[in-house]
Amino acid sequence: MASPVCIMENITKSFHVGDQDLHVLKGINLTIEQGEFTAIMGTSGSGKSTLMNLMGCLDVPTSGRFILAGRDVTQLNDDELSELRNEHIGFVFQSFYLLPYATVLENVLVPTLYREKKKDRVRDRAAELLKLVGLEDRIKFRPTQLSGGEQQRVAICRALINDPELLLADEPTGQLDSRTAEEIMNVLTRTNERGKTVVVITHDADIAAYARRIIHIRDGIISE
Amino acid sequence: MERFALLLIQSYEAVKAFKLRTFFCLVSVALGIAAITIIVAATEGAYKKAFDIVASFGPDSAMVMSGSEEARAIGQREKTITLEDVEAVRQAFPTAYIAVPMTSVSGVTVSYRGNRYQSQIVGSSSDYSQAWTWPVVEGSDFTDDDIRRFANVGIMGQEVSRELFGDQSPVGKFVLVRNLPVQIVGVLSERGTSPGGSSLDNRIIMPYTTVMKKLQNEPRYVLAMRLRFTDLENLDGRVEELKALLRYRHRIPDGQPDDFRIFTPKDIVKFLVALTGSLVVFIGIVGVISLVVAGFVLANLFLLSVKERVKEIGIRRAVGARKKDILMQFLTEAVIITTAGGIVGFILGVISAQLLTYVAEFPVYFSWKAFAIGLVLSWAVGVGFGLHPARQAANLVPIEAIRT
Repeated sequence: MASPVCIMENITKSFHVGDQDLHVLKGINLTIEQGEFTAIMGTSGSGKSTLMNLMGCLDVPTSGRFILAGRDVTQLNDDELSELRNEHIGFVFQSFYLLPYATVLENVLVPTLYREKKKDRVRDRAAELLKLVGLEDRIKFRPTQLSGGEQQRVAICRALINDPELLLADEPTGQLDSRTAEEIMNVLTRTNERGKTVVVITHDADIAAYARRIIHIRDGIISE
Repeated sequence: MERFALLLIQSYEAVKAFKLRTFFCLVSVALGIAAITIIVAATEGAYKKAFDIVASFGPDSAMVMSGSEEARAIGQREKTITLEDVEAVRQAFPTAYIAVPMTSVSGVTVSYRGNRYQSQIVGSSSDYSQAWTWPVVEGSDFTDDDIRRFANVGIMGQEVSRELFGDQSPVGKFVLVRNLPVQIVGVLSERGTSPGGSSLDNRIIMPYTTVMKKLQNEPRYVLAMRLRFTDLENLDGRVEELKALLRYRHRIPDGQPDDFRIFTPKDIVKFLVALTGSLVVFIGIVGVISLVVAGFVLANLFLLSVKERVKEIGIRRAVGARKKDILMQFLTEAVIITTAGGIVGFILGVISAQLLTYVAEFPVYFSWKAFAIGLVLSWAVGVGFGLHPARQAANLVPIEAIRT
């Protein structure tokens, strides 16, 4: 059995607000195995966004042990965290977050700009990914020329271009109608079926239902 | 390499996307670089012109003019140099391979078959062409024999020739200088304008003896003496000796000013540099100020742009951009814009310098140097003033950047 993608032990996260500490995460223990499709569910204020930021290495925990892709995240500096995000994590955001002035293909290629270990044929790979989500004839379009669903599919391709261990989707359907949301969730399901570990953060039970494992977070504590 | 190309392409896309920012930065940089381009071109032009003049004046030559420093305008100064002075100098300086008298009458009416033109008559020895490195292109120079027998002969500058004869050759023809019939024996090559801007081609050279006797009624004094030395490297020393000799011959007591002035190529360069210098200083100040202003415009617009693009920076950081990647991106954008500004500025500079030459006969000369200096300066502005906003962008906290 391969080692888990993500191990969190006793993770806490506090923020200083004014002169008092706000304890958002109060001891999270969570292990995500390779190939899992997990949903993290919670209402706003539950700490799910903070958890997602930690899991995505955009932020570091206040205390606890956090291993991602075999590396101890708490020991890494800013450049190393960037490298970790670049190689091991793919992000999908609620508002797609594509670069408006770049074409679809250029958007998908953005993570390769920052990759230390050069990969060949990134353009071919981007084209393949776009074909898998049915956007092969949109390669030269700008994001503003695409529908929301199409933009999110481009964002998924961008998240996958560096072949990360973990695909992290934060409310990926939050800005889409239910039919398009279904489309996107199907894309994520197929991605998982091809062997990718997928974590979806959502407040929507219907979306969480696509996952094979559902974790609830409430007041900074998780339960399955 | 491909990654660098991608960085360039993406930066270029951003430059294209934020048109207003690009436009203002580009224009302000272009104005500064245009001014700098003109300065470099003007400075180079002045040196080149000085070099040309020295070459035509003769780097080994000196010119002694009658009249003291304070005396009136050229041509009206009291004549103080005599033919005996010229002879004495010729005897005293064995390295002076040319020592010839020169005199001049300006505003003389010259006519040929009803065509009339005001010209300058220069009296010289037969070595005129050699003394000034000024070739006779048609016909020939007059001879020592012509000098001895006060011959009515002359060689003609291009401008008088054109005015009086049109396309015809004046060689062999007779013109009237005032009322004196003079046979034209040769034509000088085209010379252009003097550093002061007057035409050098409107003149007729005649034997000094003829000019003094028949036009000036002047037995002794001449306007100037022209010298050329074989020992070019001792020119400064020779000038001092010459001064001493002439002061002795003119019996000028110590403490009194010279009644003559000696010009060397060095003086000509000094004159031209002074002429160009003040304008260069003025445009130079304007250029530096506008470049600094351009820098601040760039810095401010980029700071605004960073604020506008916080989300983009957040996305890039999330997908793995390090701080230095963000820094490089914004610097690259700044440098692309300032480089374009530099190129536009150079073209602007070339155009306005042409106008300046047209209006003010200002010597300009464009070389790769002007272009290179402009380019380097525009890079300096891009990096120098782009650094602060680029740092701001790089130091954004990724989660906060995404959240906004």
